[in-house]
Amino acid sequence: MDSLNIPATGRTPGVAFDFAAGHLRLTGESYPDDVAAFFGPVFTALRAWLAEPGDDPITFDMELLYFNSSSAKALMNLFQMLEAAAKAGRPVTINWCHEENDESMRELGEDFSEDLRHVAFSLRNVPAGGIE
Amino acid sequence: MNFNLFAAEEQAIEQARSLGERLNAVAPECAADFEAVIEAFQRSTREQRRLVRVSDRLQAQLGAVNQELERRRQEAEIALARLREAQEAMLQAEKLASLGALVAGVAHEINTPVGIAVSCASHLSDATDRLKRANEGGGLSRGDFARYLATASDTTGLILDNCQRAAQLIAGFKQVAVDRASAERRRVNLGAYIQETLVSLQPKLRPVGHGVSVSCPADLELDSHPGVLSQILANLVMNALTHAFTEGQPGSMTILVETPDADTVRLTFADNGRGMTEEHRARVFEPFFTTRRGQGGSGLGLHIVHNLVVGALKGSIAVDSAVDRGTAFTLLFPRVTPPDEPRGGERTQPT
Repeated sequence: MDSLNIPATGRTPGVAFDFAAGHLRLTGESYPDDVAAFFGPVFTALRAWLAEPGDDPITFDMELLYFNSSSAKALMNLFQMLEAAAKAGRPVTINWCHEENDESMRELGEDFSEDLRHVAFSLRNVPAGGIE
Repeated sequence: MNFNLFAAEEQAIEQARSLGERLNAVAPECAADFEAVIEAFQRSTREQRRLVRVSDRLQAQLGAVNQELERRRQEAEIALARLREAQEAMLQAEKLASLGALVAGVAHEINTPVGIAVSCASHLSDATDRLKRANEGGGLSRGDFARYLATASDTTGLILDNCQRAAQLIAGFKQVAVDRASAERRRVNLGAYIQETLVSLQPKLRPVGHGVSVSCPADLELDSHPGVLSQILANLVMNALTHAFTEGQPGSMTILVETPDADTVRLTFADNGRGMTEEHRARVFEPFFTTRRGQGGSGLGLHIVHNLVVGALKGSIAVDSAVDRGTAFTLLFPRVTPPDEPRGGERTQPT
């Protein structure tokens, strides 16, 4: 399946889903005017890929610096899709990256991992300004 | 004291659990599905908690950003106030400097008639000594006496003319200098006042041979701030000398005064110099705008003119120019300056 690449804008995140390598990545900031319009195609592509047979490992890097409440809900939905895949036996890793001085982003990461039982979840400390 | 934001949700889950137990007893085949419903509701509650936290975090960030914004706004305002103070100080310094230039011009101008009077007086004194000696020696001829009379008549005439000229200059300068320093308002004949102001600029005009022609209705009387007017003219002339004319080439300037109606004065100051580009023309009254930075240009001369016309004379100023076609400043102001609005009088205070 083809990769999904959406460049970041001021309000929408950069999406780099390299399905062949099993490497998914969200970067930048996320507060789209229309969350459904932005995340709709992202979910569709991810759902279609997860529906394909295969058990290669998946790595998801959450590198958002800023997201609004709607994007947070979208993120939780996305995590649940990955959790379902992990529950079905696929190795899934989620890396929650946060800048080292951003304590509240780290706490949010802990919160977000609460419903992940089969996904290997890890918090990643990156230097401030180090997330591109 | 321990307030639980999600008490209702937790209570609903408790109720669902006990309902599940009763359901298990009567319809065990539904138990697993019902458990899944409870699980979904529980997850939804957890997500709700998370979203509240996300929202709180965003609110806190917004608050911090607003505080930072306010801090920077205050910083910017303080910086602006300091800049204004500095600008005001520079304007005052510029005003004093132009007063200094005026005094220097006056001194230079008076020097000529006084110098002539001194040498005539000296010549007369020598002639008188010679006559006295001839008389004492008994050798005074009729011819000697006639020559002496001719000398005395010539020199005293010159002395008188030049002393009168000096006195006239001093009277004119005194008024211009007093007006310039005090910015007081009074009635003044505009044409005569323009001439008095131009005299103080002669030392700048004469060496190169610049000419200023004045056309002004002879009986036009203003009730205004003549010192302000004098400074405006001096700045306009100095601006033309600095920018309009090629070094060493004589140029010509004209001052044309008209009265479009009985209460309005239109003064046009024009030169036949090199003019300027539209880009420069548009910025000519901006403070600190100068094409001579580092060559002594402060960029304040025309800004001061603009401020004085608008602030003190309650008029307006426009500039018309094109490259190689000279520059013309047109000032429109009331013949009788209206009184200052309350709080509007800062520019007319004595320094």
